[in-house]
Amino acid sequence: MKRQTSEFLVWTRPIALVALLVCLLWPGVTVAKLKVVATLSDLGWIAERVGGEDVEVEVLCPGDQDPHYLPAKPSLARKLRKADLLVYNGLELEIGWLPLLLDAARNPQVRPGSRGELDCALALTEILEVPTGPPDRSQGDIHPLGNPHYLSDPRNGAAVGQLMAARMAELDPAAADRYRQRADGLQADIASRIGQWEQRLMVIKEHPIVVYHKQWEYLLAWLGFELIGEIEHRPGIAPSPRHVEGVIQRGRQRGGVIVIAAPWNHLDAAQKAADRMAAPLVVLPAAVGSLDGVDGYFTVFDTICDLLTTAVADG
Amino acid sequence: MCRPKSLFIYLSLMIVANVMPGRSSGQASSTATGISRTMNPAISVNGLFWGQVSRDNDDPQFNRVALQEAEAQLTAIVDPFWKASFTFAVHPAHGHQHEGAADEPEETDGTEATSGFLLDVEEAFIDGRSLPAGLGLRLGRFYLPYGKHAPLHTHQYPFAEAPLGIRMFLGDHGLTETGARLAASVPLPWFSDLTLYGVNGDAEIFDGGNKDLVWGGRWTNLWDLTGTATLELGGSAFTGPDGSHPDEGKRLDVFGVDLTTKWISATRSQGPALNVTGEVILPRPEARPGTPLGWYALAQYRFHRNWWLGVTHGRADADAQQAAKTLPPFSALKQNEHTHGFTGEVWESKVNLTYAPSEFSALRLEVDWYDDRLGDTDDLRFILQWNFTIGSHPAHLY
Repeated sequence: MKRQTSEFLVWTRPIALVALLVCLLWPGVTVAKLKVVATLSDLGWIAERVGGEDVEVEVLCPGDQDPHYLPAKPSLARKLRKADLLVYNGLELEIGWLPLLLDAARNPQVRPGSRGELDCALALTEILEVPTGPPDRSQGDIHPLGNPHYLSDPRNGAAVGQLMAARMAELDPAAADRYRQRADGLQADIASRIGQWEQRLMVIKEHPIVVYHKQWEYLLAWLGFELIGEIEHRPGIAPSPRHVEGVIQRGRQRGGVIVIAAPWNHLDAAQKAADRMAAPLVVLPAAVGSLDGVDGYFTVFDTICDLLTTAVADG
Repeated sequence: MCRPKSLFIYLSLMIVANVMPGRSSGQASSTATGISRTMNPAISVNGLFWGQVSRDNDDPQFNRVALQEAEAQLTAIVDPFWKASFTFAVHPAHGHQHEGAADEPEETDGTEATSGFLLDVEEAFIDGRSLPAGLGLRLGRFYLPYGKHAPLHTHQYPFAEAPLGIRMFLGDHGLTETGARLAASVPLPWFSDLTLYGVNGDAEIFDGGNKDLVWGGRWTNLWDLTGTATLELGGSAFTGPDGSHPDEGKRLDVFGVDLTTKWISATRSQGPALNVTGEVILPRPEARPGTPLGWYALAQYRFHRNWWLGVTHGRADADAQQAAKTLPPFSALKQNEHTHGFTGEVWESKVNLTYAPSEFSALRLEVDWYDDRLGDTDDLRFILQWNFTIGSHPAHLY
């Protein structure tokens, strides 16, 4: 019996030593970072800002692609397979592709209802354009839960940062204080910039706004801009010539119109309408990475200020 | 004790509250029966119709306007462990003559004939939601993951009908089977998925009376060529009892390879997009001599936000018996349907133009050309197909 015990120790000691070394040296074991997957580039930027060196962030929809129509490539599901936390916009913005990717990823950690999935729309205090009647598809690709483009109001970005910090702290309690501090820092940074952005865009208030797609409602509401029409009458549906003509006539009557669009909108149609209204067409960054040089959430709003004020100055 | 007047006021308030504008569907949780409907499945119904005119064939089947398929789909989470999906399809009975006489309410393989139509349980399965190690388990009745085309529902077809190689070798109505399938990711630097299955073997190409199961698998690999373009390479295989010679215990092995590249412009919503797919089907029936081959190549191009152009070309070696079921009766092969073995080849070319004003409706004009290389028995067909979906239909796979 004694001899057997000795042999056992002879074999198990080196194995235990190797296992200990692996645990100490393998970065995946000792310094595991929280793996965060963000559906949108804006959310990815906020997650990096809040998570700092404690997280690894991957983004599913690049900033230069329309998040309504992202192809549900299996390679994107691969990113989700090892995620600890999925942060998504919600309000059904990603309804056309995220459920498919979640099914393909087969990762219970981030399935709806789990602690690893975070609907960032929960941070909102107000959702705009919630349908007042029963929605149906005669209204186009409307979002039954309300307008999902809330990140075009930077105050919502700050609120989302706080929500992310709370969930990251829950999943990674060891770094909880750091997440909260960074989220507070983000909120303070946004608060310090909001006044400047509002000041710079004050001159735009005199100009009625025509948008291509109902994507800028939160921006317009924040800044108090007046919206007088959408070129794309029903979301996702090509506008009829009669509708576009109506918007053009309204713009001509008002005068001083600015037409704004996202880079992925049908800019030829937007340009034709703008030309007939003698209005500038301003292509605004709709997300981090949607235009060259727009590499951060603050830069989105800096660029919006630059483009709109330049358009008015040139106009 | 609740007084009748109070009860009336309470019920009135409840009814008013439930029809008040602005209430989301999640909040409107109670029906007149008081049963919660928040847990009801997502329901959608698709209608697919077509009208055909044949230049060379007077058969009414190819010169008529008809329902091609109506399909209802229900999907919901069962509990923390399973997600369920049901798909019921109604087809005209004449297309299912191999499954039972159309005018007899005979039940075969989950298919029931009623009033000239057949109700088919296309899919009824549960998917595991909490399996470890990224495994995916599906139990029930489902389309076999063979190639790119066979798992598609009819309204997803890129052309009005499936390619000849698919119809000839995998049957005219899809490989929908009952059993289990397990999927796992292969640890490679790109997306790589392996799916294995064991099913009963009820489809028309199998011998349903044989107790042997059908076994098979598919290996899918996908690479991102650029941020907007992908390349997919897949290999599929299955083996089961051959239905062309029932009760003889012969095996049918089918292999397949498919290659797909897709590109979708990122610069514009619903902008230009291109899909090019090629697929080779290699059946190896033990009972029939020869090494038959089927293949097709297709391309679809979205040249405007609502407009798609499609073109395809393909061929299949034809077994006279199968040709009699699958091909339009123009084929000279049908004249020889009692011949055993692969006796000829059939070629097809198709062009179509699709107008899809939204994701939920489409109108398609198509010209099909069939040639059996036997001389004077070609066929030219013109097809107008329309397709619409109502309800909460899940998005389609990439």
